[in-house]
Amino acid sequence: MFDFSVITQNWPLFWNGLLVTLLYSALSIAAGLVIGLVIGLIQLTGSRTLALLGRVYVEIFRNIPLLVILLWIYYAFPIFAGLSVTKFWAGFAGLSLYAGAFYAEILRAGVQSIDKGQSDASTALGMTYGQRMRRIILPQAFRRMIPPLAGQSIIQIKNTTLMSMITVPDLLYQASYVSSFTYRPMEVYTMVGFMFLVLLVPLTLLSRKLEKVSERMK
Amino acid sequence: MTHVSNTSAPLLKIEALRLTFGQRDVLKGVDLTVNKGEVVVLIGASGSGKTSLLRCINLLNMPSHGRITIDGEAIYEADTKARDGNDVPAKTVNRIRSRTGMVFQQFNLFPHMTALENVMEGPITVKKADKEATRKEALDLLAQMGLQEHVGKYPRQLSGGQQQRVAIARACAMHPQVMLFDEPTSALDPELVGEVMKAMVDLARSGMTMVIVTHELGFAFEVADRVIFLDEGTIAEDGPPNEILLRPTHPRLKSFVGRFHETADLLRPFLESS
Repeated sequence: MFDFSVITQNWPLFWNGLLVTLLYSALSIAAGLVIGLVIGLIQLTGSRTLALLGRVYVEIFRNIPLLVILLWIYYAFPIFAGLSVTKFWAGFAGLSLYAGAFYAEILRAGVQSIDKGQSDASTALGMTYGQRMRRIILPQAFRRMIPPLAGQSIIQIKNTTLMSMITVPDLLYQASYVSSFTYRPMEVYTMVGFMFLVLLVPLTLLSRKLEKVSERMK
Repeated sequence: MTHVSNTSAPLLKIEALRLTFGQRDVLKGVDLTVNKGEVVVLIGASGSGKTSLLRCINLLNMPSHGRITIDGEAIYEADTKARDGNDVPAKTVNRIRSRTGMVFQQFNLFPHMTALENVMEGPITVKKADKEATRKEALDLLAQMGLQEHVGKYPRQLSGGQQQRVAIARACAMHPQVMLFDEPTSALDPELVGEVMKAMVDLARSGMTMVIVTHELGFAFEVADRVIFLDEGTIAEDGPPNEILLRPTHPRLKSFVGRFHETADLLRPFLESS
C-alpha cells in the first residue's frame, strides 16, 4: 500500500527543503538568542522603563500565534511601511522575534531563580552590579538555563514548518509540492514526520543529558 | 577573654536609624556605637529587628532615615532626593562596604567555585589583588579554619560547619575592619555548631571587631563584651553580658532570657538520660 518510490524519485526536493529548514533553524535560533539576551537583561537592570519595554515585547510576541506573526510581516507590514519584504526576511524576522520572547523569559527566570543569598554575599564583598552579574549570578543561571534553552530550540526547529504558509521552500513546503503532483500524501507526509524525528530525537536526548549534568552541578 | 581598652575609637557609628518596609516600621530610631575590637551580640525575639539592623550596616537593607559611619566615613546618610534614598554615592558605598565582612545563616557560598576560589573571589574581583599572593593568603586562612584538606572541594561536598568556616575565611580575606554575623550557627546541625563557634572565638581573640546576631546565649555570655537586646525596633537593653543575661530588668528581656532557661530545664531530663 505504501509506495516510497515517490520519495526517492523526488529526493532532491526533500533534500533542498531539509537544508532550508536547517538554515532557518540555525539563523533564527542565533538571532533569537541575541534578542532574548537583550530583552531578558533589560528587564533585570532595575530601570522601570526598560523593564516595561521588555515586558511589552515579551507579551506581544509570546501571545500572538507565530503563524499570524509570519503572515502579518509578509503580507500586512509591507503595506503599512511601504516596503517590500522578501520571503527570506519575513520568515527570518518572524521566527527570530518570536523565539526571542521565549528565550528572554528563560533568561529572566533563570537569573531570578538564583537564591537571593548569592546576591547578598557578593554585595557584601563590595562587588558592583556588573561584577555580581558577571562573576556570580550569570554563571549559575546559565547552567540552569541549558535544559529550557535546548527545549525551546527544539520547538523552534519544528516551528520553521509554519514558514511554508508564506511560501518559503522549507521541508514541509517541498513535501506539499511533491504531494500535489504525485497524489501520494501518505508517503510524503510520513516521510516529513520521519525526517523530523531523525533530526530531533538525538537533540532531545542531548538536552536530557544536559539536564542531568546541570542537576548534578547544583 | 581579652579586654582591650575600647574607650576611645568608635569604629562603627549608627545614629537615629530608621527602617521601614512598606507600612511596617522595622527599626524605630536606633543609636549604636561599636568600638574597635569590641564584640557585640544582638539578641531579641524574631521580628525585633536584629537581623535588619545588621543588614543595614553594610546596606543590604537600605534604611529610611539616619546615618551610618564606618571608621569615620559615612556609608549611609539619609537623602529624600536621591533615587535610592542614600546621599552617599554607590561607588563610595561599595568601597566602605568592603571594610565590612559578613557571614550569613545559610552560608551563601558560591556553588560554582571551590572553597579556595570562594575565598579568593573578593580580593581578586573587588580589590584587583595579585592572584598568587591572594592564593597564598587564602590557603593560609583556610588552614587556620582547619580546612587545609578541603580547599579544592565545592560547597556541596562540604558539611554545613565546613561551609560556614569557608564563609568566615571568605569574609576575612577582604581584611574587614568589622565582621557581621547573621545567626551563623542557626542552620547547622547541633554537632557542627561547636566548630563554627571555635572559629568565631579565635577571631574575637585576634582582636576583630564583631557584631553578631545569635540565639546562642551561652556564646554571648562567654565571648561578648556587650549584649544588646532589641525589642520592637528599638534598643531596649545594652550592657555587659552578665548584667543583661543574668540580671535582666526589662520585662520582655526577662521573659526572653527566661524562656531559654526554661527550655534548658525542660530538656535536661532528656539530655541526661540519653
